[in-house]
Amino acid sequence: MKIPRQHLEMLRKIKREKYHPLIHKLHKKHKISKKTLFYIKEYGPHTNIFKTIIKESIKILLLASILSSFGGFALESIKNLFIVIMPLIILLPTLNGMIGSYGSIISSRFSTMLYEDKIKKNLWKNKELENLFFEIFGISILTTVIGIILSFIISFFFDYKLSLLIIGKIFLVIILDVVIIVNILFFISVFAGLYFYKKKEDPNNFLIPITTSIADFGNMIILAILVILFF
Amino acid sequence: MKRFHDGFREIFGSQLVSIIGGLIAGTLLAVYTNKILLIPGMLILLPGFLEMRGNISGSFASRLSSGLFLKVINPNKIKTKLIKDNLMASFLLAVIISFVLGLIAFTFNYFIIGSFTPKIIFIPLIAGIIANAIEIPLTLFTTIYLFKKGHDPNNIMGPFIMSTGDITSIVSLLIVLVII
Repeated sequence: MKIPRQHLEMLRKIKREKYHPLIHKLHKKHKISKKTLFYIKEYGPHTNIFKTIIKESIKILLLASILSSFGGFALESIKNLFIVIMPLIILLPTLNGMIGSYGSIISSRFSTMLYEDKIKKNLWKNKELENLFFEIFGISILTTVIGIILSFIISFFFDYKLSLLIIGKIFLVIILDVVIIVNILFFISVFAGLYFYKKKEDPNNFLIPITTSIADFGNMIILAILVILFF
Repeated sequence: MKRFHDGFREIFGSQLVSIIGGLIAGTLLAVYTNKILLIPGMLILLPGFLEMRGNISGSFASRLSSGLFLKVINPNKIKTKLIKDNLMASFLLAVIISFVLGLIAFTFNYFIIGSFTPKIIFIPLIAGIIANAIEIPLTLFTTIYLFKKGHDPNNIMGPFIMSTGDITSIVSLLIVLVII
């Protein structure tokens, strides 16, 4: 296939943030994927790649850092209580990473369902949505239980005294934290996803940053509250 | 039902990898609690510091993967402007975010706790430089290696960055604390 170079050059000169009908025309006429066309517009020859990446990423990264720091404030305020419970310290990076991942999985899977027209009016009777919920819920509980047990084993090797009461409390706090946050993430993904989809926006672009930020921020706030309540 | 099981297995597998990395990082954190967590403001910057590696290196790996699949990036030729600019931008972003995290923790310490701790700005900054000097090239070479071996880096790089990122972050924080 002959590559329409002059068209690609024209495309490259269009301002990045502007969606141009040329993208659609090139896609239809020459069967070039929209992803390729987007990549050429974004990172093609003679574009300032360095500036593009910095400019597009800095705002969302700063927002994510500020939100995480707010979550950190909650943990810092209960520091004296938190740092004496060794399994909780061991679980902290795991919990943060795990819940953030569930946020992005729920968002991207729900966005795909919207595009595939699998979401009908009655959300409560939707089989696909029900499957997604139970799949994520099941995996989150299973991985959390594995994480907790491993944290107990590690703590045991470092001579941390674990009584049955402490074991029970840690199980309760972490499982409750994960259950609450997964439900919140699911609720936000579904309703915000429907809102953006009805506004003819791509839910992927909004849901993933929203849910991952809420996951980080919410996880630490809920964890701090539960630690205060149970310890 | 089969799709349900497939999805379950894929997510469960990738989550297990992340859990192991997170637990190693958490163990280091627990063992060196006296060195890391007893510093005022450390718990404020720690979540953001751990998350930053995934955000920056994750996007970097994703951009590389797109370029590789679209044949804009040649896996056998990495000294190109596209890769160099990507590397530099990711590194600069990491430095800026590390500095901002330090600044937030410093502000909290100064206004809420009432202690003047300029060290808290330099700790994440230097640790961020060390961690990213390891993590960003590691992301580059692993993404290209996986692509060359016929895998889709998008499916593997997420959990890989999560687990290695947590470990390099905690180790670099410890190195900085020893230096300072």
